[in-house]
Formats: sequence, C-alpha cells, structure tokens
Amino acid sequence: MNVGVRSRGARIRSAVFGYANMMPFLAFALFPFYYMVITSLKKDAELYSLKSVPFLIQTGVITDHYRYLFFKTEFLTWVKNSLIISVTATSVSLVIAILAGYSLARLRFRGVGAFGTAVFITYLVPPTLLFLPLSQVVVWLGISDTIWALIVTYPTFLVPFSTWLLMGYFRTIPREVEECALVDGASRMQTLVRIVLPMAVPGIVCVTLFGFTLTWNEFTYALTFVSQTANKTAVVGVTADLIRGDIYYWGSLMAGAVVASLPIVVIYVWFLDYYVSGLTAGAVKG
Amino acid sequence: MAVSQRALEATGLPRLGRLARVREWWEQEHVFGYSLIVPALALLVGLVAYPFGMAIYFSLSDYWVGSPGEFVGLQNFRDIVGNEMFQQTVYNSFVFSIIAVVFKTVLGVWLAMLLFRDFRFKRLIRGAVLLPWVIPTALSVLAWGWMFDSLYSVVNWTAIHLGLINPPGPNWLGMTSYAMTAVIAVNVWRGLPFFAIIVLAGLVSIPREYYEAAEVDGAGSWGRFRNVTLPLLKPVLAVVILFSTIFTFSDFNIVQVLTRGGPVNTTHLFATLAYQIGLTGGNLGQGAAVSLFLFPMLAAIVFIQLRYIRRE
Amino acid sequence: MISRRRFLKSSAGALAGTSAAFLERPPAFAQKRELTFLTFNHFVPASDDELRRQAEVFAKQAGVTVRVDTIAGPQLFAKRAAQATSQSGHDLIVTGAADPFLYEQQLVDMGDLVAYLGDRYGGWYSFASQTCQTSSGWRAVPWFWVAFPGCYNEAHFKRAGLQAPKTWDDLLKAGKILKKQGNPVGIAISHCTDANISFWSILWCHGGKVLETDGKTPAINSDKAAQVVEWYKDLYANAMEPEVLSWDNASNNRFLLSGKGSWIHNAISPYVAAVAKSMPIADEINHHASPAGPGGIHCATTVNSLAIWKFSKNVSLAKDFIKFLFQKESYNSFITGGSGFNQPPLKSFAEHPIWASNLKYAMLPKEADYVHEQGWPAKPNAAVQLIVVNFVLPDIVAKAINGMPTKRALAWGEDQVKLALQGKLRTEGKG
Repeated sequence: MNVGVRSRGARIRSAVFGYANMMPFLAFALFPFYYMVITSLKKDAELYSLKSVPFLIQTGVITDHYRYLFFKTEFLTWVKNSLIISVTATSVSLVIAILAGYSLARLRFRGVGAFGTAVFITYLVPPTLLFLPLSQVVVWLGISDTIWALIVTYPTFLVPFSTWLLMGYFRTIPREVEECALVDGASRMQTLVRIVLPMAVPGIVCVTLFGFTLTWNEFTYALTFVSQTANKTAVVGVTADLIRGDIYYWGSLMAGAVVASLPIVVIYVWFLDYYVSGLTAGAVKG
Repeated sequence: MAVSQRALEATGLPRLGRLARVREWWEQEHVFGYSLIVPALALLVGLVAYPFGMAIYFSLSDYWVGSPGEFVGLQNFRDIVGNEMFQQTVYNSFVFSIIAVVFKTVLGVWLAMLLFRDFRFKRLIRGAVLLPWVIPTALSVLAWGWMFDSLYSVVNWTAIHLGLINPPGPNWLGMTSYAMTAVIAVNVWRGLPFFAIIVLAGLVSIPREYYEAAEVDGAGSWGRFRNVTLPLLKPVLAVVILFSTIFTFSDFNIVQVLTRGGPVNTTHLFATLAYQIGLTGGNLGQGAAVSLFLFPMLAAIVFIQLRYIRRE
Repeated sequence: MISRRRFLKSSAGALAGTSAAFLERPPAFAQKRELTFLTFNHFVPASDDELRRQAEVFAKQAGVTVRVDTIAGPQLFAKRAAQATSQSGHDLIVTGAADPFLYEQQLVDMGDLVAYLGDRYGGWYSFASQTCQTSSGWRAVPWFWVAFPGCYNEAHFKRAGLQAPKTWDDLLKAGKILKKQGNPVGIAISHCTDANISFWSILWCHGGKVLETDGKTPAINSDKAAQVVEWYKDLYANAMEPEVLSWDNASNNRFLLSGKGSWIHNAISPYVAAVAKSMPIADEINHHASPAGPGGIHCATTVNSLAIWKFSKNVSLAKDFIKFLFQKESYNSFITGGSGFNQPPLKSFAEHPIWASNLKYAMLPKEADYVHEQGWPAKPNAAVQLIVVNFVLPDIVAKAINGMPTKRALAWGEDQVKLALQGKLRTEGKG
C-alpha cells in the first residue's frame, strides 16, 4: 500500500516489487491468448512440424486462416447475429433487473426476502439439461430457429445476477435523496428514473458489461435453439464449422477465437473503471 | 404530493379522477414494489421454474431421449449412487472445486493487491488481467487443448528446452494426476480475473484512513494486511467465494473439451457425466439425477451463506 | 407521463411488427415448401459441397427449397434430444449407432423406401440393415458407412524392412521394431470414438464379445477378452507411447501426418486431408485391410443413416429426397466427392471406379465382408449406446495399463455393462 510519506528509495523498491510480482500473473493470463494469435498466423506446415519452435513464427506470417474465416465461412453474419442478440438480450435484462433490483432493495412489502433468495437460488439450477425443456418453451413461443429464441432465453441467466448486483448498488444510494424527491411531488417512477438511475450509472455499466460478456460467450442454448447457418452466433459458428470430425482447422479456429474475443476486450478496457466502481458498490455491499 | 394526496383522500374530501386514482393506487409502496418485480417474476416462472420442474421430473422418471417414461421415484438416484463411475465423479468434483477455489482465492487476493497500486499502464494491465474471463470459454479452452496436445504441447516444449523435464514430458491429459492438474489450471486461469476484480472493488471501498491509523500504530505491511485489509474484505470474499464455488462445481466446458472425463473417468464432473449419460447415452432420467444430485446441498449452503452475508 | 404512454404505444407497435415479421414468412417463401436436413460436418469437406449441390438440383426439380444444415458431430446428440423433446426441428436428420432404436417412437417407418432401394441396387449389407431395423420396422435408411483400415506410413515400414501387418500379432511385432526406430504405432486408449472402434475390432478378432446375441447377457468377462487386454498392455508398453491415453479423434490423424507415427487404426481421413492440402507425406501413407486375429477377421464400423421425424410436415418430400440421393448418378458423385470415404450400404454401388483408380483405396469396399456395427453380435440397442458413450471398453484397458490386474479390470467392465443393461431393461417393452 503506497500510503503515507515514504522515502523515494522505498517507493522505487515497492514499484519494482509490484511489477516483478505482476509479471507471472500477466504471463499466465496472456500466454494462451498470445498462443491463439500466433497459431492463427502460422503456416500449416509450420504448425504441424515437430521441429519448429511452437511460440514463434519462423516461416513467415500468413493471413490465409483469416481469409478462410471471413470468405469461406459466414463469420461476419455470425458476428452480426451475436451483436444483435447480445445487445438486445442485455438491454431487456437490464430494464427488468433495474425494476426488480430497485424494488427488492428499497421498497418494503411482504415477500421481499423470499424473492431475493429465490433469485439467487436460480443460479444453482444445473444448466446441463435445462435446455431440453426450455427448447419446448421456445417452440411454444413460435420462435425456434430464429435469433429471437436466444434473445428471449438469455435473460433467464442474466436477470438473476443483474438483479442481485443492482440490489447491492441501489442500497448504497442514500435514502434521503429519494425521500426528498417524493416529498417534492415526484411520482415513484419519476424518482427511480430521474434521481436514482443517474446515481447508479457505474452499477448499470457493470451489469451491462457482465451481461454482454455472458451472452456473447453462451454456447449451449445457441447451439440447440438455432440451426440455420445464417442464424448462428459467432462462438457456435466457429466451433460448428471449423471442427470437422477428426480434423481441426486449428489456424482458422484460433483466428475465429481471436476475432470473436476482440469486441469484448475493447469494451472492457474502455469501461474498466466503471466496472470496478460498479462492482465496488454492487457486489461488495450486496 | 403523493403523501399529501393520500392524506386528502383519508379525510374524504375532493374525489379524484379515475386515472388519478389508479396512479394513486400505484404509488402505494407495496403495489409499486410488486409491480416492479412482475417482469422478473414472469421471466423466472416461465423460463426457469418450468424447465427446472421438468428437469426434476426427468430425474424421478424413466425418461429416455425419444421416449417419455413413467414415474420411478428415487430409482435413478439409487442407481447412480451405486455406480462406481458416479462415486468417482463426486470425488473428482470435490477435489476439483476445492483446489480450484483455494487457488483462486489466494491468487485472487494477491493479484487484487497488486492491481490496487498506482502504476503505469494501469488500465491496460487491468484489462489484460481480465482477458481470460472475457474471451469465449468454448474457444479459449480449445486453445488450451492445443497447448496440452500430446504431440505439439507448447508447455512441454518450453519445459524441455528450459531443462526442467526430460523429453517427452508428461502427457498432460492422459495421466490421472496431470489431467486433474491441467483442468484445475485452466479453471483457475479462467476464474482468477473474476476473483481479482471483485476483490479489487472491495479494496477500493476500504477507507484510506484505516490504513493511516494502522500505520500510525506502527503496523508493517503484513500487519496492515492482516488487521485492516483482511477483516474488511471478509464480506466481499464471502460473496465471491460463494459465487465461484457454484460456478466451479457446475463447470462443463473445460473438462468436456480437454478430457471428456478421461483418463478412466478421473476428471469427470457432475455436468460432464450428466451430459454423457443423459444426452450422448440417451438416459435422460439418470442424467438429470446426476446433475441434480448436489442441488439440495448447494441450496442449503447458499441459504446459510446468504443469511450470514446479510447479517454482516 | 405522455411521453411514457407514447413510448409504450410505439414499443408495442414495434413488437407487433417484428413478431408479425417472423411469424408470417414473406410471400415468396410461403409458396415454396422448404425441406430441412440436419447432418454433421463431413470429415471430408468436399463431400458436404457435393451434398449441397445435389440438394440444389433436387430442389429445382421438385420446385421446393432444400436447406442443409451441418454441425460438428458430437453436437448432434444435444440437437436430436432437443428436437425430439420439443417436437420441432428439421424434417430429415442423420442418425447412427443406437439412434433408430432410441428414437424408435419418434421416427417415420422407412420400410417402403428401403425395399424399393434394396431391390434396385443389389440389396443392403446385413450389418447396415441391422442398425436401422428395429422390432417395429425400419426407422432409418442406411446412408453410408465408414471403413476402418490400417493407415500406415509405408516409408517407415520399408525402412524397418517390414510388411503391412496382416494380424494384430503382426502389428505388435512390427510395432516393437518401429518404436525402436522412433516411429511408434498408435491405438487410442481414451475417451474417444476411435478408441471404442479399435477395441471392438480387436476383441472380435480374438473371438470375444461384450454382449450375447440377445443383447441382454454380459459376455465381456472372458478369457478371450483377457487375452486382448494382455495384448494391449504389451502393445502399450513396447510399441506405443503414453500419448494414446489422452487422444481425441483428431490426435491420431495428427500423429500420422506429423511423420512421427507409423501406424494407426482409422478412417482414411488423414490421407484424404494430406492429399487435399498437398502435403508431401501423402505419398508415404497407405492403407491395408483391418488386421485379423485367431477368431478371424472383423472390424467395427459406424453406419450413418437417414431418418425422418414423425412431426415433420414433409415426410413424402423427404423420402423423395432420399430416393434422389440414392440415384446411381447422385450416389456415385457422392462417393467421388468424399474421395472414397463414403462407403455404400447397397451392394451394387460398391463397384465404383474410385476404388480401382487409386490402389490405396483398393481394400475399402471389401471391408464390407467383415465389418459390424458396435455391439455385434447384439443389435446396437440402448445398452450398447451406454457402454459406448461411457467408454467402458477403453477404460478397461486403461485401468489394466495403470496397474490393475486384468481380471479385476474386466470384472469392473462387467459391472459397468450390467449397469448399462439395467437401464435398458427397464425401458424395454416401450421399445
């Protein structure tokens, strides 16, 4: 902790210590990603040579794997689908979670505690086989094999977590602010929208990021509820089309992994501070 | 105004319009409260409760893919408990989850402390550390599979060239203890950022004055960590350990892609065994029983934990 | 307030609009019927291209649209289960192993079609019909089967002065020499399909079986099976490397294509891939008939079949499509498109020129004389499916290799087989 007054020498020593400690963590976190990137840029001949150095590219960088991905598969369509699905499902869940989270955190009525626990218990329901009965529901709703099947079902795992996180966040906002607004004649809904929400922005950003990540990465529902190539998501499309029986297209597979990760990585780096402060209030005080 | 209107109505003075009355009714705390949770409730009942109920029914019936079965009570549970493969899975799951969560907790707190400092490229480094958690698991695990490949393993290549091991090096996914180590390592890799970032959030919320006070009392950095950081992090740690334990117990992708439960079922987890018996094997009833086996226990743990957290 | 009401109104409108958009298809589609077909990504990509081309030809002829969706093979289990549960999905699906039995109640009877095709094209191989013929009739049409020859690196064998092995004992002897030369052989002993296929083959060649013909009596714990396990232990210790314990279906392909491995038991996909990518190693790879043993020559295969869901609204159209796929012209180009990977279940198609044109393929159609679906002599019923997907057989070997006495490993396997039978017997009668 760099708190208080310390000598310059001590500060430098502490900084060096910090960086030195960080290195193994960074290497551990980044190496697989680095390995994905170089695998996606390597010639097949080098990739499958037992003599080459695995984490270097020695025989030249190629973009063939990316070209295959973009022009021989419908990768761009899949990314577009993923974007539409993630944005819509996250927004819908956000609205539902804001309403429920506010209600559970702030308002007093019978059953608040029970419902709060129920929301959490939802997390324990083992997802492995849940998709089977859920696929029935999807058919009843008449949306199977469309991207709507995913937009409708993704909130099932987004809403519980988001609600729970937002509950924590809403609790940190001083009650007096709302009471003032109510006394001044604002309706409850107005108070929520105009007073509480602006104060909850970090929490909302955090929930949005979280939701976006989960939907973007979801696999089982995306696999089972949608079959048309044109409606697949990026993650399912890449694995479904580039693993062929006993042949893996490692180069393109890794290229797909890299490209499919980029949007999320960018968003995270951009909103990271919000994310941390959102979590600070949400998860910590929950 | 809401308050004053209610007061007016109580005295029975001017009658309000219909719309206004509805609005008035809606402004009541419990009505407003219930109405806000209606969408969430509808979603959870329609899309979670029903499938969950069906899954429970599966586990109590003789249900095969393609042929709905009759009610058989706890027969499926009795069958799996007697199966050596399932006993092995229970053992694996606990070993896997406990070791992984311990590693994530210790390394997560350590990493959070490192990230908490002020340093150059702070945002970039924090972002980089988050990477394993944000990239699609289904794809990143494939990359790990490639890294542990029996022929092209970069892990072994590196270790051999650093002189750490003799060629050809361990067969990561083929030997019992190595395979467990490998799947745990990947789980820690993936889960660590979640831990670190939430603990970091917890650190941010600790008022600086506490540290200053401790410093004045002459506490060293270890003392500050033990007497200030750790106690104040407790509630955060409770939450994050709870979440992580649930996620770890229900892990699927890592084992399914890397080992498919092998070698000899020593890395099977509940989710992968349930998938294998229920879907690829077609015995949905038993598969559901496998996946629901821990539910009562986890629910109890969560219930107790939540009470503890709320009381804090 | 006003703004909120307007918002509600407009969003309701938007919702109605979108739902209308995807409930009613645009008129252009509504006139044309659509036939949908779900299959796995073919091991030889060009085969899928050929399939899609034929689908388009059929679509034009029949005045409909045909949609062929392909996904990774292992993902099909979840997909089929979901479609059966929700009673909705594709019209036509690819099935294999026990699927026609597991989904017996859900699949359309194919008897008429099977009889028609069988009469026309020289009859069905019995191993192929076994996988589709349930007690209530044909629930699928055999589509193509996969031959599992010995795939070997001829150059490595020549260097060691060895011939291609004719029996599993030859392989063991050759493997010991080849391993010393730095080119071990490889048979997967892990949780993957290939590991199952090889074990069944070797067991049968030694005269063993897992289940009796009735499909209800365990027969795995026998002296013959013990011989097989001992043979495996010897092979593992002296002719293979530990990597076989972690292999997936793709690993042995890489093992052979890397130039390290000298022999694998596999479909011809590594060779086809090497040719397609013009890898120099293609010249060194050759195939030979799956080895024999004291109990004769047998080899396991997977028969892929075509089935139609009962909930489909296009049953007769789907049957027409299958008929079209089996027209001589179509099926022949299907074999060519798959570079000889797709083996015909109908006898007259076995005279395709591709097998004569490349000597490396010459033995493939002859495998039809001695291949069986996994489970044989029993039918591929639900119990067989559980034994296969739980990887009981490779695990027996792996346990023995890890030091468990062979007898105990087999006793463990017998227990697992009994457990699989329990599950099945309870569902018997419902079929």
